[in-house]
Amino acid sequence: MIAPTGPDDLRAALAKTIVGQESVIEALLLALLSNGHVLLEGAPGLAKTLACRSLAAALTADFKRIQFTPDLLPSDIVGTRIFDQRESSFATVLGPIFANVVLADEINRAPAKVQSALLEAMQERQVTIGPQSHALPDPFVVMATMNPLDSEGTYALPIAQMDRFLMKVNVGYPTSDEELMILDRFAMADTQPVRCVATLDDVRTWRAKAHDVHIDEKLKRYIVALVAITRAAKSVTIRSAAGATLRAAELIDYGASPRATLALAFLARGRALLHGRDFALPDDVRAVAAAALRHRIGFNYRLTTEEVGSDALIDALVAAVPAP
Amino acid sequence: MARRLVAQLGLVAAAALCVAHAQTLQRLTVESFVLNSDAARPRVDVPFHLIVTLRVRERVPEIDNLQLPILAQLELLGDERQTVSGPRGTQYREVITVVAHSAGTLAIAPATLQAIDARDGKPKEWFSNPLTLEAGVPASQIIHDGGAAILAGAVILLRLLLVVIGAAFVVGVAILLVRRANRTVPVPPVTTPTVAPRPRTRAELIGDALVVLRTERTRAAATRVRGAVWRMLGASEGETLGDVLRRPGTRDPAVREMLVGLERSAFTYDADLQGAIEDACGALERYASALG
Repeated sequence: MIAPTGPDDLRAALAKTIVGQESVIEALLLALLSNGHVLLEGAPGLAKTLACRSLAAALTADFKRIQFTPDLLPSDIVGTRIFDQRESSFATVLGPIFANVVLADEINRAPAKVQSALLEAMQERQVTIGPQSHALPDPFVVMATMNPLDSEGTYALPIAQMDRFLMKVNVGYPTSDEELMILDRFAMADTQPVRCVATLDDVRTWRAKAHDVHIDEKLKRYIVALVAITRAAKSVTIRSAAGATLRAAELIDYGASPRATLALAFLARGRALLHGRDFALPDDVRAVAAAALRHRIGFNYRLTTEEVGSDALIDALVAAVPAP
Repeated sequence: MARRLVAQLGLVAAAALCVAHAQTLQRLTVESFVLNSDAARPRVDVPFHLIVTLRVRERVPEIDNLQLPILAQLELLGDERQTVSGPRGTQYREVITVVAHSAGTLAIAPATLQAIDARDGKPKEWFSNPLTLEAGVPASQIIHDGGAAILAGAVILLRLLLVVIGAAFVVGVAILLVRRANRTVPVPPVTTPTVAPRPRTRAELIGDALVVLRTERTRAAATRVRGAVWRMLGASEGETLGDVLRRPGTRDPAVREMLVGLERSAFTYDADLQGAIEDACGALERYASALG
């Protein structure tokens, strides 16, 4: 008898290709289980693209990569209608968004109208081309990479659009040991292709299981309190790089939306399933809090001028809410 | 004739009662018997302590026939007794928590002790010193008084302070002179004893947790027990299981199993609750047996 495939098999398959970056792998799996989309931010060359490509390969899923550039048009993403002279009619050509795993590379290099076309498709899970609507495949996961905003030639994504992403993951540099392993794996030997370990049906089954993960009443209140404190953080203080004590509320223009509340619940459920549980714990919520909140809070200029890290501020907010 | 007989019988009965009472008295050599207060000027509606300290030369498990003064002007809030026996005798301390509800002079009569004086074998009654305290008005009331009253009070206090310092100096010199002349054994200073209740052992706490969980078998009980076990391990309730498991005292597999079991009981879905509680009870039992 063959043991049923679980999300852990997928994690193991990805870990064989991607060195380190556990947070990226977990984010991809959580997005898959929660039917959401991921925003990956980090410097170029940190295996963001490789991770997405490997995920698609491990699932035998359709994979498309869209390189966002300043001259990209919405029709380059969603598709267009082309006049067929022989038939004397318009034919629909579907864009690269029609895939299970879509990598939107350097999303902040394209102008706002292109970004909004992608984000609308992400939200609606369908695209309207001419008179006809086309449903996107299921599962449909967008992994968008983003260069840090201070990089040259980038357009900031509006918060309203960032909110559509279930989570935002900051991709960091590997450790020295991991970098040595990268050298061995990719420069000294032939790169092994990712083995297919699960089907799209498996993904749908996992998703249903994740949806059934129990969230206790105490945990629901904890989630709501976590989001609420981003909107009224008067009592929370944080130290700046210069050692000054600042009130968190002075660094925040606006707090997270109710979509953050939902995202925390979905992600906590997904994490519980990834850890083999059918009930979520406060640890699950706390572990995903930064990823669910960091792109949904409107930080103001003082965060930069006072040299307070946004993640440090989120950590302080999370720490201020006692877990149940 | 008959009246005389009744009177004689009465005297005999009284004498017999006295003898019987004397026979129940302890044989003690009283060294010191002091009534003290931890507040010279107790505030109205603020609890303070009266401390009765008795030192006897004999080693006795407890002191009988010690009567506390009747505290008519005070409300009794609590009473703690401590008897410590050692090679140098026995020290008995009783800390009475009281509160005054009105300002003014509090005259507290002495405490009494009835015992047979070990030095001459006669039943006697000893008295501690009486106490006179001035119950002051609460701070809030003082604040309501006018600035002039405060100023006048300050002047009076200053004068009083000068008088007290002068008197203390005179008394101090007199005490020094008397001590030099007499070399008496000083009465040990009476400090407020803090009689802390004996902390419950881990085994007792786990035993309590098991009783609660087995009896109630509800999520609320599981959550309470989880909180109690976390506190036992030094964790606060605002932490997560991950935080608690990172503590150095939770490396033991039995502790980890217990914590994970209780976490499951507190957060699992309803259909799994009874199984989770059963598993948590098993983990608690295993930890209790590991503790011995």
